[in-house]
Amino acid sequence: MKKYRIVFKKSLKSEMTYRSAALAGVVSAALRFFIQVFLWKALLGTGAGQDIGFSDMLLYVVISGFMLELTRTNVAESIENAMIDGTISMELLRPISYKGYMLSQTLGKNIYGTLISTLPILLLSLFFISGAGIPTLCYGLLFVPSALLGILLMFETTYLAGLLAFWLQRCWFIRFYLNGLRSIFGGTTVPIWFYPGFLKALSYLLPFRYMTFEPINLFLMKVPLDQALVSILAAFLWLAGLSLLDRLVWRAAIRKLTVNGG
Amino acid sequence: MKNFWRLFSSFFRVALRREMAYRGTFLAGIIGQWISYGAAFLSIYIVVSNFDVLDGWNGAEVLMLYGLSVMSYAVGASFFFNFSKGLSRRIRSGEFDGSLTKPVHPFIHEVFSAGYNIGYISHFTISLCIMTVSLWGISFRPTLWNVLFLISAVLGASLIQAAVLIASSVISFFTVGSNPVADFLVWDMKEFTNYPITIFPRGIQFILTFILPFAFMNFYPASVLLKKDIPQGYPAILPYLSPVVGVAVFFLSIVLWNWGLAHYKSTGS
Repeated sequence: MKKYRIVFKKSLKSEMTYRSAALAGVVSAALRFFIQVFLWKALLGTGAGQDIGFSDMLLYVVISGFMLELTRTNVAESIENAMIDGTISMELLRPISYKGYMLSQTLGKNIYGTLISTLPILLLSLFFISGAGIPTLCYGLLFVPSALLGILLMFETTYLAGLLAFWLQRCWFIRFYLNGLRSIFGGTTVPIWFYPGFLKALSYLLPFRYMTFEPINLFLMKVPLDQALVSILAAFLWLAGLSLLDRLVWRAAIRKLTVNGG
Repeated sequence: MKNFWRLFSSFFRVALRREMAYRGTFLAGIIGQWISYGAAFLSIYIVVSNFDVLDGWNGAEVLMLYGLSVMSYAVGASFFFNFSKGLSRRIRSGEFDGSLTKPVHPFIHEVFSAGYNIGYISHFTISLCIMTVSLWGISFRPTLWNVLFLISAVLGASLIQAAVLIASSVISFFTVGSNPVADFLVWDMKEFTNYPITIFPRGIQFILTFILPFAFMNFYPASVLLKKDIPQGYPAILPYLSPVVGVAVFFLSIVLWNWGLAHYKSTGS
């Protein structure tokens, strides 16, 4: 565990030196939030009799933005670069699991920028969020494991897809697939509440809805308690299944990998 | 002019071969872009049609904004993306200094040798789909006038997109290493135009019209075709000016680029 903490701290430190990048992140996040605020204000202002309030929507945008930002990484690209310049052999020699290494690096790298860019947004949205948006203790306690599972699940899919780099020549496009699928089936851009029936049904068959949508659903208390446990269990099973799968893929990848010098 | 064309076509062939060297990657990339842009297209459509209207625009109408934006980006970026993103690298590696010694203007040589990016065929095809869905949805009746208007709007918008890429590369002349700050901001500002700008505060409308004129890429032309209101108090001629604005900012961006070039000092590598 200590080893992973070191990786986490190192990548956090190296990220903190890039002030201008952090600043750009803050402005960028604020602009995107701004768009969402006015979009939802215009939509919900018409009062089309939806069950969703403006305050709920703002919380949705803030929380999902936070979770997406925190897990943003490009495992495929790291592996690709490491294979091209040969550092992959070094990384494999480390007395630390590659997946754990990637996870601590990702969180370390993102946590600074994420906190910095979420804080102003959170403060801004405090003006709009009504007290009714704050979950009761019970839902709050359910939200925590659900959100943690969601974050791990997001990392897991990115990692698993990233392992494809061992077989592909180039892999800049992997993130387009991931982002697209996440957005369509995970409700990262538009909450699944608004989906037409068939898309909603499809989303239950895939892991993406458990990443941000289900945790936020809990936070906003849109699910009855018994169903909440089901969604947490489903997220857990997806995570366990995919972790098993990534082990198999990893083993196959290592067998296939040949490092040419380096 | 004939030489110009010959130069372009020979560089074009090289770019095509370069992309086709990795056919699998090329195809996988195109499908990836379809999924990614398709997701954005779907979300906009789902949101707006769920609420019937967004400030007087229905789902199909809002999609036209997105369709025009992606289509013009496809056209503009296919010519200028490699040029814009590669400039900083080419300066660092010294390749750029080669362009200074060629018998054509460095700008033209840079654009041609950076190469036409054939990959934008994915953006173009998906934007055709989006436009088809949108035009179908508004039961568009083509006449000579509105088809010509649409084409000129796309061309004007493409020039705006190109100008953004050209202008954002100028910073490479001053700082070694890439600087994503400006890119981020431009990209985010463009996101505003996925929705009718009338939903935003007046300050944003002003910026998108007069300072970073992204609203001319899609909002103003669409407001003509769909007969929508433009921001209150703005001249009624504005929506027809996309091609003019396109040409103007395109030339401005080249002037800016040349100004950057005049201040360029080689890294000596």
